[in-house]
Amino acid sequence: MSFAEFAERHRPEILRYLVRLLGNEADAQDACQDVFLRAQPAFVRLAPGSNSRAWLYRIATNNALNAKRQRARLAARDVHVDLDTLSAVDAGEPRDELRALRRAVTALPARQRAALMLRQFHDMSYAEIAASVGGNEGTARANVYQALKKLRAALGGEQ
Amino acid sequence: MKTREDELIAMLLDDASPSPPVRRWLATDVGRRGLAEYRRTLSGLKQLYGDVTATPRPAAYYDSLQTPIGRVLVATTDAGLVRVSFRRSETSFAAELRERLGVAPVKAPAKTKAVVHQLADYFAGRRRSFNVPTDWRLVTPFQRRVLEATAEVPAGQVASYGDIAHMIGQPRGSRAVGQALGHNPMPIVIPCHRVLAAGGKLGGYTGGVAIKKKLLRLEGVVAANA
Repeated sequence: MSFAEFAERHRPEILRYLVRLLGNEADAQDACQDVFLRAQPAFVRLAPGSNSRAWLYRIATNNALNAKRQRARLAARDVHVDLDTLSAVDAGEPRDELRALRRAVTALPARQRAALMLRQFHDMSYAEIAASVGGNEGTARANVYQALKKLRAALGGEQ
Repeated sequence: MKTREDELIAMLLDDASPSPPVRRWLATDVGRRGLAEYRRTLSGLKQLYGDVTATPRPAAYYDSLQTPIGRVLVATTDAGLVRVSFRRSETSFAAELRERLGVAPVKAPAKTKAVVHQLADYFAGRRRSFNVPTDWRLVTPFQRRVLEATAEVPAGQVASYGDIAHMIGQPRGSRAVGQALGHNPMPIVIPCHRVLAAGGKLGGYTGGVAIKKKLLRLEGVVAANA
C-alpha cells in the first residue's frame, strides 16, 4: 500500500482520535497534519507485517501529548481560556452531569484518556492500545479502568 | 488485585463475565447502584466524545520529476493541480504547501501522475500544451484572470505584458499583470514564460531568466535573446 492510500484510509479516525484527546477540532486538525508529516518519511521503514495502524496511533498519541504540554504552557498565561470545548454540551441543554464528566475527562492523565478513548471509540484491544500509547497490555487495561473509576467518581458515585 | 469494581467494569466493557460472587453483589442495592453509575458514565462519555464529526482538511499530494531544467516539483489536491515549482528541495516544497494550504502534503505519484506525465512529454518535445484540472485556491480572482489569459498563449508564440492586460480588459494594467505572473503558482503549465516585456525584451522570471530562455528555446522561440 502506498503512503497516500494508507493516509487516506486512516486520516478520518486519527483526526477523531485527536479531537477526543485535545478537546477541540482546531488543535486536532493541526496535530493531524503534523502526524502525517511525521509518519510519511518513516512509513517506508516500517517492518512488513507490523501493525501500521497502531504505529500511526502511537505517533498521534505522542503528538497530542506534546501539543497538550505546549498548550498548557500557553494557558498558564491566560486563565480565561477554556481548553476543553466540545459542542455536545453547549449545543443541547447543559447538564451538570455531562459538565462534571467533561471536567473529569479533562483532568485525566493523558495516557489514561488516550487508552479510554481507544477502547471505547476506536475498537482496539488492550494489546493494540499498548502499541498505540506505550506500556504493555496490563498497563493499557489498568489505564482504561482507572480512567473509568475516576469518571464515575466525578458523577458523584462512591469509590 | 481484582476488585468487584474491576469485575463490574470488565463486564460493561465486554472484557470478561463477572464471577458468581460479583454477580450476587450486582443484585444488591449497592451493586445495582454501581452498575447504574458506570452505565451513566459510559453513556455520558459517548454523548461527549462518541459522535465527533471532524472532516479532515482536503488532502494535498506531490511528486517530482527530472527535467532539462532540473527537478520539477508538482502538487495536486483532489480538485486539480495547485502548485508547480523547481530549483528547490522537496522539504522546502512540502513545507510551503503545508503553510499555504493548511494541509500536510503526501508524496503520491498515483495522485500526480497526469501532470507528471504531461510535463515529461513536454520536456521531451512530445507535447505542446497541458490538459489537467486546476485548483485555483492559491490565486486571487485578478491573478486568475491573468493566468487564464496567459494559458491562451500557445507554445512557440509569445505575448507582452501589455497584450495580456488587453486580453483581460485592463489595457493600462501591464504592471499588475507582471506582478500577477511573478506569483504564478503553476509555472511551466501556465506558461508565464511566454509573456515578455515590451519590445520583445525577455523580462523577468521568478525561476530565473536563464530558465525562461531555456523553456522558450524548447518551444522553438528563438527571438527571445534580449
